[in-house]
Amino acid sequence: MPIMWRSFMPNLPVNSVHIRIDGNDVAVRPGISVAAALLTEGYRSWRTTRGQQQPRGIFCGIGACFDCLVILNGQPNVRACMTTVEPGDEIATQEGTGHV
Amino acid sequence: MTNSFDAIVVGAGVVGASCAHYLVEAGLSVAVVDRGSVAAGTTGAGEGNILVSDKEPGPELDLALLSQRLWTELIDVIGPAIELEPKGGLAVGYEQHTFDHLRAFATEQAACGVVATPVTGADLLELEPNLNPEAAGGVFYPQDMQTQPMLAAAHLIARGVRMGRITLHTNANVVAIPRDARGAVTGVETTTQTLQAPLVVNAAGTWGGEIAALAGVNVPILPRRGFILVTEPLPVIVNRKVYSAEYVANVASDDAALQTAAVVEGTHSGTILIGASRERVGFDRTLDWTVVQRLAQQALQLFPRLAQASLLRTYGGFRPYCPDHLPVIGPDARVPGLMHACGHEGAGVGLSAATGFLIAQAAIGVSPLLSLAPFAAERFDAHHVAVVHA
Amino acid sequence: MSDQRDIIIIGAGAAGMNAAYVAAEPGLAVTVVDANPCPGGQYHRRGALEQRYRPSGCSDENRWARVEILSGQQVYAVNSMPDTGHVLVRMRGDERHPHEIGILRARALIVTTGAMDRQLAIPGWQLPGVMAGGGAQSLIKGSGVLPGQRTLVTGTGPFLLAVAASIVQAGGEVAAVIEANAPAGLARHTRKMFPAAVAKTAEAARFAGILARHRVPYLTRRRVTRIAAGAVDTQGRACVSEATVQRIDSQWQPKPGTEQRFDVDCVTLGFGFTAQLDLLLQLGCAITDAPDGGLAVLVDERQATSRPSVFAAGETTGIGGVDLASVEGRVAGLHAAAELTGRAPATALVKSLHRQRRHLHGFATALALAFPVPTQWVNDQPGETIVCRCEEITLGDIRSARDDLGATDPRSIKLLTRAGMGWCQGRMCSFSVEGICGRQANVAAQAASASRPVSVPVPLGAIARDENVMRESAQ
Ligand SMILES: Cc1cc2nc3c(=O)[nH]c(=O)nc-3n(C[C@H](O)[C@H](O)[C@H](O)COP(=O)(O)OP(=O)(O)OC[C@H]3O[C@@H](n4cnc5c(N)ncnc54)[C@H](O)[C@@H]3O)c2cc1C
Ligand SMILES: Cc1cc2nc3c(=O)[nH]c(=O)nc-3n(C[C@H](O)[C@H](O)[C@H](O)COP(=O)(O)OP(=O)(O)OC[C@H]3O[C@@H](n4cnc5c(N)ncnc54)[C@H](O)[C@@H]3O)c2cc1C
Ligand code: FES
Repeated sequence: MPIMWRSFMPNLPVNSVHIRIDGNDVAVRPGISVAAALLTEGYRSWRTTRGQQQPRGIFCGIGACFDCLVILNGQPNVRACMTTVEPGDEIATQEGTGHV
Repeated sequence: MTNSFDAIVVGAGVVGASCAHYLVEAGLSVAVVDRGSVAAGTTGAGEGNILVSDKEPGPELDLALLSQRLWTELIDVIGPAIELEPKGGLAVGYEQHTFDHLRAFATEQAACGVVATPVTGADLLELEPNLNPEAAGGVFYPQDMQTQPMLAAAHLIARGVRMGRITLHTNANVVAIPRDARGAVTGVETTTQTLQAPLVVNAAGTWGGEIAALAGVNVPILPRRGFILVTEPLPVIVNRKVYSAEYVANVASDDAALQTAAVVEGTHSGTILIGASRERVGFDRTLDWTVVQRLAQQALQLFPRLAQASLLRTYGGFRPYCPDHLPVIGPDARVPGLMHACGHEGAGVGLSAATGFLIAQAAIGVSPLLSLAPFAAERFDAHHVAVVHA
Repeated sequence: MSDQRDIIIIGAGAAGMNAAYVAAEPGLAVTVVDANPCPGGQYHRRGALEQRYRPSGCSDENRWARVEILSGQQVYAVNSMPDTGHVLVRMRGDERHPHEIGILRARALIVTTGAMDRQLAIPGWQLPGVMAGGGAQSLIKGSGVLPGQRTLVTGTGPFLLAVAASIVQAGGEVAAVIEANAPAGLARHTRKMFPAAVAKTAEAARFAGILARHRVPYLTRRRVTRIAAGAVDTQGRACVSEATVQRIDSQWQPKPGTEQRFDVDCVTLGFGFTAQLDLLLQLGCAITDAPDGGLAVLVDERQATSRPSVFAAGETTGIGGVDLASVEGRVAGLHAAAELTGRAPATALVKSLHRQRRHLHGFATALALAFPVPTQWVNDQPGETIVCRCEEITLGDIRSARDDLGATDPRSIKLLTRAGMGWCQGRMCSFSVEGICGRQANVAAQAASASRPVSVPVPLGAIARDENVMRESAQ
């Protein structure tokens, strides 16, 4: 049974930024990071390691660990914690090196 | 623990490790002494190309060919941990005239036993599908190999340690090389202890001149700086060791100024190494971004796809070079019991196997498989006059 | 626009922004470069849509008008030009624009790159749902998103209180705060209470009050010894479901039989902070050891490093918290400006800043001593524990490099195992690796493993095309 995991905080802007995550249309709050957007959509990990194919998500939160890599608008290895969502963003989970 | 050995090897780089390995194979007990850790010197700062392709006919090519054979045997002895890959090398010419030059060079090499096959067009792209298709042609060298030099050094030493034949002394700086009344070496003194042996092998790489000086002799070894670029891990897009024709010219060059000619190779871990620059700037470690840019440009000329790959880090070190670009290998006629195995410049990994083998032959008095005369330390003395010691 | 500036400040945190405000004397071109979407650094992090950050006491907008702030620009390399004495600052665009690279030249540089959470490898620390304590803060402050529904806040230091308080205030649940040291130690070390530290102590007390109101247990002399992933997220991928906590001795060795299980979906880890010294190491600035067992850049009274015209402030000079960072930033800004204008700063102001700095510094040292972080225990964990997250190198791999292959220091461990060679360049594992080697007293060796010639990855295509470098080499 998956954990339905949504954050809730009062006084924050409404979900007005429309983006796609793994092909699904979702609306998230403006100004949040791509990592935060993924978390609010219930993702706890969004890439796998290239060695053991293990899931990874956000860890350091400040751009230092490179665990949170994701494919953003076709570009792999983007640090999700360092990037603010923009309308129309296509976010896709990444596997291994992220390159084909 | 005994302090007395048949031989002491100063330097736990790939050359010292190979010397220790073959000395053990020859039946000797060996102490390996390094002021740092295993592979603390240039071995931990370079790439692991084992090349015959970049060598012009002469003593160094003979050494390289012997080494190539020995490395193939070593893989059976030490196993896959050293990441030895017989992937072959590919020298590429963009202009017709550089390709012609490459082909002519290959013909000369072939006369000495190098396997070299010119390839063009579709064959070239079959060997290396991501290569810039504008290349005029290339020469494929199936004998070229690659290893991970730090692992090679560490495993060669570890094997001897496991067998009880090598004692490893790390963090032990050699500060003196005592000699007896005859002038023969009696061992080494480190900052913490005295080790005894009738044979001392100077495998201190770029610092080989300092060790020679401790024994009272001159061996001129100087640093030649090199930087390597490392990309993010990628899927396999480079199969061989691929380099541009200019590389060969640079390797043999006497020019002190910056030279770059990218050698591009993939590694086990998925990163791509782009090496290397050659500069004579002493022991200055400051990263020069003009070097980085030139290496990047040359790598992209070979593999345009690399433009999207990120540079993760750079590293570099100081190749040990002698004025005539040949290493110093073998007994020092001036100091009984002292042997040199240093000054291999940009080929120490490749040449280490043959070097260790020849040192071991000399140690037990077997006539060497190759003449050591071109590598003699005394060649730098004016008129070869031995230094007389007080 | 020309690429020449008078003063460049790298890092728009408390230190950098205070420095910029103070340095923005008429006639001086001051630029702040920062990797984040907006200024504030770690402490004053805010959402991209929130009101902009202005340090307290820095309200003269005429001064700010002279400060250029380049956000979303990450500096990947700096070097000083031997001929002109200028510092070259190489930066790239944010994650959307990594190919856009630029260069600026400065007559003086102030490095205020702050710190990152210091980590130690624990079985399961690589699982989704485990976060750095500071990382949880940045998620809450920057995006208003919680790191989990029910979180175990672990590690050591007063910062745990800040993390836990943020979580509960944001509506999250904290299962417990697990503090490896004993806070009683703090009282002992701060007996000679430093006047300037009163605010910090009050802040800690406030956090403690918040946690008490939310009935969050504060358990000391314990640490998390294992984290397990028995749950899946909405995508069906494994994530954290429980953590095991044990009582520990003074060396943080767990006491058998004291296991306590927490059902949580998030665990935060934080063992102090590590100063971000990459850029300062690239410049060859002298480095020293700090009381918390980490490294710091060596600075003099003026916050000047050992390199000409290079200043440093904030966490780079030793972990000291936001108030110290602010004061140091001001000192650095004053002196950098003075160096360029030739006008000495007002003595009274300098004296007062120096006094505040001395007090805050004393308090930071007391904190470091009250919350020591032994590391030898890392070595005694199960061999399959991941140490290098990027390359997935285990403790067993590292032990065998050390014991069987003659690797005695972090550098040779790295060369023989690849620990520290991945994307993060050793930022997450180096403290653990040092512990496994047996902590080194040798600052030079530690600095060597902390040095990163490229501070952030840059696409090769961008480097190859960079016209700035071409101009340099033509000169
Ligand atoms: C950028 C670059 C790329 C390279 N690429 C290749 C390549 O692809 N293929 C190739 O074959 N070669 C390559 N090389 C060259 C190769 O790395 C060297 O030739 C080789 O590593 C030399 O090995 P060594 O054992 O002689 O020296 P080192 O590895 O330097 O070992 C010497 C050891 O002696 C120790 N030492 C020094 N002084 C003392 C003392 N007083 N007491 C105790 N110990 C001491 C040092 O600590 C060191 O560990 C490259 C070099 C560089 C810099
Ligand atoms: C993740 C995290 C969260 C923290 N949260 C708190 C908290 O909630 N409460 C608390 O009391 N303390 C917190 N701290 C401690 C914090 O270090 C100090 O309180 C304070 O932020 C230090 O100020 P500073 O100016 O020295 O550095 P910082 O505030 O860290 O500012 C440094 C700035 O430099 C930028 N930077 C770094 N390298 C580069 C580069 N190469 N190029 C461009 N820009 C760069 C960073 O992005 C950052 O914006 C936190 C620390 C971390 C690491
Ligand atoms: S979470 Fe560490 S880089 Fe994004």
